Amino acid sequence: MAQDYTEWLAINVLNEQQLVSYRSLSRALKVHSNLAKQMLYDFHRNQNAKKPGTVHATYLITGVKQTERPATNGMHSQRDGEDTVMQSSPLLPSSSALKPDEHDDEEPNAVQTVMLVKQESLDLAKAKFESITGLHIYSLQAKGLGDIQSLTECNRKIAVDYASEDPMEVWKQYGTIQNPNVKRRTQRRQPPPPPAPVAKAAVAKAKPPVPTAKPTTLKKEASKDSEEAKPASNTCAKATTEPAKKPPTNKRQSSDIFKSFAKGKAKAKTEQESQESAGSTPKPAPDDEPIAGFSDEEDADEGDAAVIEEAPKVVNGKSKKEREAELQAMMEQDDEVMEDAAGAEPESAEADVDEGAIDKPETQAEEPKETVQIENGRRRGRRRVMKKKTVKDEDGYLVTKEEATWESFSEDEPAPKRIKVPPTTSMSKSTTAAAGKKGARPGGGNIMSFFSKK
Amino acid sequence: MNGDSHADLLQPPSNIEPTVLERTASHYTPLPTYQLPKGEHRHYQQQYADMYFARLAQLKPAVEQIASEAWADFEIGGETASRKDRVLDVRQGELCWVAGTVYMEMPLKPNVLEDIGKEHWIAAPPPRVKYDTGVGLGGDSERGAHAGGGKGLAGAQIMLEDESGRLRLTGGYLSGGLLVTGAIVAVMGTENSDGDFEVLDLRVPDLPRQPPRWETEDGDAALQGKSVTKKRPSSGKVAIISGLGVSGVEGDTLLLDLLLEYLLGESTDPASQQQAASISRLIIAGNSLSHSSPIPSREELAAATKKGGRKTYGYDSASYNAAPTDHLDQWLATLLPSIPITLLPGEQDPTSTSLPQQPIHAAMFPHSRAYMNPPTAPEGPGWFDSTTNPAEFSADGWRFLGTGGQPVDDVYKYLPDCEERLEMMEAMLRWRLTAPTAPDTLWCYPFQDGDQFVMKECPHVFLVGNQPKFETTVVEGPLGQQVRVLAVPRFKETGELILLDCETLVPEIVRFEVLDEG
Repeated sequence: MAQDYTEWLAINVLNEQQLVSYRSLSRALKVHSNLAKQMLYDFHRNQNAKKPGTVHATYLITGVKQTERPATNGMHSQRDGEDTVMQSSPLLPSSSALKPDEHDDEEPNAVQTVMLVKQESLDLAKAKFESITGLHIYSLQAKGLGDIQSLTECNRKIAVDYASEDPMEVWKQYGTIQNPNVKRRTQRRQPPPPPAPVAKAAVAKAKPPVPTAKPTTLKKEASKDSEEAKPASNTCAKATTEPAKKPPTNKRQSSDIFKSFAKGKAKAKTEQESQESAGSTPKPAPDDEPIAGFSDEEDADEGDAAVIEEAPKVVNGKSKKEREAELQAMMEQDDEVMEDAAGAEPESAEADVDEGAIDKPETQAEEPKETVQIENGRRRGRRRVMKKKTVKDEDGYLVTKEEATWESFSEDEPAPKRIKVPPTTSMSKSTTAAAGKKGARPGGGNIMSFFSKK
Repeated sequence: MNGDSHADLLQPPSNIEPTVLERTASHYTPLPTYQLPKGEHRHYQQQYADMYFARLAQLKPAVEQIASEAWADFEIGGETASRKDRVLDVRQGELCWVAGTVYMEMPLKPNVLEDIGKEHWIAAPPPRVKYDTGVGLGGDSERGAHAGGGKGLAGAQIMLEDESGRLRLTGGYLSGGLLVTGAIVAVMGTENSDGDFEVLDLRVPDLPRQPPRWETEDGDAALQGKSVTKKRPSSGKVAIISGLGVSGVEGDTLLLDLLLEYLLGESTDPASQQQAASISRLIIAGNSLSHSSPIPSREELAAATKKGGRKTYGYDSASYNAAPTDHLDQWLATLLPSIPITLLPGEQDPTSTSLPQQPIHAAMFPHSRAYMNPPTAPEGPGWFDSTTNPAEFSADGWRFLGTGGQPVDDVYKYLPDCEERLEMMEAMLRWRLTAPTAPDTLWCYPFQDGDQFVMKECPHVFLVGNQPKFETTVVEGPLGQQVRVLAVPRFKETGELILLDCETLVPEIVRFEVLDEG
């Protein structure tokens, strides 16, 4: 063993000119830290005996420094020349804190100092100490240490090099204080892999269409993607701009058109979907639901799909029905079934569809579709809105175009679910009413019925 | 001169097997006092006024009891003080006492209307150190300033408020006292001709009941039907630290490394290592990261706008620097196998900015997360407890109340001449308020049912992080309560670690230094 460390140190300190701390040595040679400190000392002494100045060291001194001020309660600084009328009287009638003058009588708190010094300053440092309880070599390096802060490099390297070691098993030999009560759970899963493959895998897994599958299947699988179950289900349900969501949502599009008209199995979908599926020639998917009744509209769609301009119209016409159907479906919480079953349609259909879909393939990609989710009574999601855009032409003319854009919306906290509204706070009630008004206008205009609660 | 006993490690390696040390066990029970309900149950549509009313309702009985005992037989000129129920019931010339909430009107307090008005055309004012200049603004006496008051607090008005209304307070007595907005007090005096109430005496609720040691654990055991153990093993020490200030910048982390090695028991000599093995828990009281508050300051926002491009309100994900959290996480993960840690967030940590700050999320600590409780099934306290700020927990039987320093820093701003943080902490204990100035100048959650900042039970240890220097004292209460008050200094600046002995509650300091001369 004696040879090992001398050799190892010779290589690392002298040849490779690295900074070696006792911790690095203990990890490399698998020895106790205290032993490593002794090894460092031995090497340092031997090398410098042979040729002085080859190896430089830093030391760690532990002890009690000399000029320790008693109980640093800050009273001293206050006293210098300032008018301390305020402080000397108790600031509270029942104050029992010691008055400033009495603080000196208190036992001064014990102060222990742990100081890291370079070997050049060792004597200087030792002089500052009243009593030294411990002194050992912290690190060795071939040349003098320029910036003492570079010693952090040692620990950083240890963290990197020995990251694979399990602390609970291996650190005992290094002399770390062991703790028998440590509670650690094994990680169920690795840090999340890139979302796309996992999402695909998730959907593929759910492939075997199980109409009555548990509604939360996809939710659970999606939840594995992200850290927390709750926000995961939210984000998954929300159809955010995550690229990962594109594959599943695209898959949904193809067969969703049919599902949307199926009774009670309607799924959250959008005009885009209907557009795309309308454009798609292959008959979508093994569907369980009867679609006969809607075949007419399908054909109509397919015919119209070729025409860009009409697509929005068609879409608009359908949207209301779709939306109502969607609402129904959402009430029944069959969301995930749909998506899983829709997974049956591979992306190939989507690829065709994408090329076929004339109008907005890009916007499709970016803004999946209109979804309205209800979570705990709060509606949020994306919807399509006609917005006016004013553009300046080359000739300087202002041209106003109306186009459909997506926006996400969400309602405020639900009014009826207010937990405790004390009768005195009528103000909160009125604000709730104000917030709820946006949604609660049943029988209003056509568009507003979309927002009606149930 | 120095004996060779310390130089044991300055010798060639011996063949003696070094002993492996074991750490003292830590008994720990976190209390959910400051946890807010999650998700949709957390409402923000309440008014803050309810908090004040709730606070008054909770503390009024206590303060009135103390006041009535004190002034029951108080007489001036043959007149005894009578108790008034409402603040507006005081009559001119009549000696009486009444309890209510203190409200301080100070000229330099942040005023949201002024802020909005000025935001657009002048640079942000430098953050105020104190809300009052301390120099007489209303030099003549009666303009709301204390009549004949001492120096300071000129320009500030002190009022007493309750459900019925407000009453302006004057009198020389007030200048000697420590008052901030939100404190519940009882004042005795009389109304003078100006309509101001001249204060002759003042009482505060004082310390609440203090549970005996081990009460939390014994209580839990009793509830669960287990037998209450009378014999407890002797406890070790608790290490308290604050203001680690991990930033992505290298060059200031050597102290952290030294601290790490000390706590792990790898550095220093065997005697100190033995001492380190008696440290049973590490409490980090706020500001572990130096710059990670989610809300950018006004300067940052201006800089971001100036750089051109979109004005990103709030959070610009492109500029996120993961180095600080990564470093902190690695540091914690290195310590956790050996020592349990309780982490309180601070002003600059990535969590909510209003009190009570919620625990830093497990997602910030990918490595240390293994030592935390799984989110779905918390069975007992986690080894690594990321907790709220302020936080209440029971460690080794003693009840600890810790904050990251924001309440004390805010109280500091209210007192123009007082630099004594210990006195402020003592005052907070006597007012029974963990955050007296919330919600006036300290952002907080609008509690609806009751002010969560009211201390229901007196802690044994009250620790406040991120203070400029280490200070400590023992505060005594009328019923024999004793509270060890600790002001924990910022580690980044001072390199000091506090060790609190859990048998005697006496603190000691370990200071880490790097000698950088020569």
